[in-house]
Amino acid sequence: MNSTTPLEKTSAADHDRRMRAAIDASTRLPVILFYSSAIFWLLVGTVFALLASFKMNEPAFLDRWAWLTFGRVRPAHLNAVAYGWASPAAIGTGIWLMARLCRTPLRHVKLLISGAVFWNIGVTLGILAILAGDSRSIEWLEFPNYASALLFVSYGLLSVWAVIMFRFRQPGHVYVSQWYILAAFLWFPWLYSTSNLLLNFEQIQGGAQGAVNWWFGHNVLGLWFTPIGLATIYYLIPKVLGRPIHSYYLSILGFWTLALFYSWNGMHHLIGGPFPAWMISASIVASVMMIVPVLTTAINFHMTTVCNFGALKWSPTLRFTVFGAMCYTLASVQGSSMAIPSLNVITHFTHYTIGHSHLGMYAFFTMVMYGAIYYIMPRVVGWEWPSARLIRWHFWLVGVGIALMIAVLSIGGVLQGLALLDPNVTFMKSLEIARPWLWMRSGSGILLTVGHVVFAVNFTLLLLKFGKRRSGPTLFGSRPAETESEMHAV
Amino acid sequence: MSGIVYILLGAGLVIFGGTTLAAFYWAARTGQFRNLEEGAKVIFDADEPVGTATDTFSDRNADRPLRRPAAVERTI
Repeated sequence: MNSTTPLEKTSAADHDRRMRAAIDASTRLPVILFYSSAIFWLLVGTVFALLASFKMNEPAFLDRWAWLTFGRVRPAHLNAVAYGWASPAAIGTGIWLMARLCRTPLRHVKLLISGAVFWNIGVTLGILAILAGDSRSIEWLEFPNYASALLFVSYGLLSVWAVIMFRFRQPGHVYVSQWYILAAFLWFPWLYSTSNLLLNFEQIQGGAQGAVNWWFGHNVLGLWFTPIGLATIYYLIPKVLGRPIHSYYLSILGFWTLALFYSWNGMHHLIGGPFPAWMISASIVASVMMIVPVLTTAINFHMTTVCNFGALKWSPTLRFTVFGAMCYTLASVQGSSMAIPSLNVITHFTHYTIGHSHLGMYAFFTMVMYGAIYYIMPRVVGWEWPSARLIRWHFWLVGVGIALMIAVLSIGGVLQGLALLDPNVTFMKSLEIARPWLWMRSGSGILLTVGHVVFAVNFTLLLLKFGKRRSGPTLFGSRPAETESEMHAV
Repeated sequence: MSGIVYILLGAGLVIFGGTTLAAFYWAARTGQFRNLEEGAKVIFDADEPVGTATDTFSDRNADRPLRRPAAVERTI
């Protein structure tokens, strides 16, 4: 690079900028489609979450209508946020990252559009089916066959697309994020189809159902949400800071050890259940071995951000992403500890587990997705976020809300667990012990709800290109088509 | 459980397990595990090189520490 003249440098920079603009612009339609539907389902899922939370405190609340009973509202919440919000947000981010990392404009946009359409029809049918009482009553797999089949079709299209994109990438090194994304796009359809085949189409019998259920239930986190979340962090933190990952070697080690250990983890949900001891033991060992990939990512995220924590003040993306990255470490270490039988005996069947799942799915994954949306949308739409104040409000509302939720659920859960273990305490008493903590949880839920509304408003304003056009740095440039008119304007 | 389900499950296992192993073999063979420190830099380019921050709050452009010139200015 030293031998290049300043002019050559400028033209290389200009070429790269135009190339990146073209790549970002090519992802516009599918990314906006997946993100918009994700945010719609986030709001729907939040309403169900609030309802379910208040029903925990006051069981008689809104119990006159069958479709609003706890047994339907709670799975409707889980499925709306997992398949309505988190997955489409992951897919939208995955599409954009894939195009950027392959260094090629998006191919076969129609595959992705059809994927988004099938996906949303599937989720709508599934949620309606759950509310109508047609749930499968299998956690994480409540959608009946006619809904899950549509999700599978959508996934199949996305997998095919991912392979095609990878095939036609520009030559060069395959960045660690790309490994994660490609793996996630291939692993999930396998997980989803295998579990649905065994549980919904050709139902296996007895305890084996539980094993398949939790093989899926844990792997949907470990082999779908986690890889996409980590891929996003591994791209965004270095990119925002302008610093390469601290130890790239560790990041690659982290990917392959995650691939090796994570798929064994599911059986730790069944400690104490009627299963062969080797199954549970293998799962506990694998859960503890997860320390290896988790440490590699923790070291990398921390060492890349260290000395740059000041940047959290000015970068919305970094603020959300680093929050998520820290919570990934916390959630994983907590998860490994919860697999240890002596701790599991206290926390199992209590609200502590719910706190843990929100630490993973919200404080880690959802926060990272917010960060990604804040980075990606201006580049894709060609418009800056209309209000930085709304972004700050969003961050503090959801940041404080989720921290409070996890804290009160953990404390309430442990108290509940200790009461359950005590033969002198009645079962009813153990529920009453948890009740004040559940009220606080509902309070934290209100904070989250307001945060989601603020986010949705800012997102909608961005889509409508509200406000004055800014030429600030978050807008990374202009699309090739716009460049010329801008030159004239200037 | 009918035979077709066993066949589907077996095929899934072989295809997806095989893909992972093949991917690992491919990565090792094509030198993906070599020269890793250079690999970490593939996400940067001439326009956004190492040392250039790329995100900020929109109303805080002026006092940003690692300021990069606004894109429109450079288009001229």
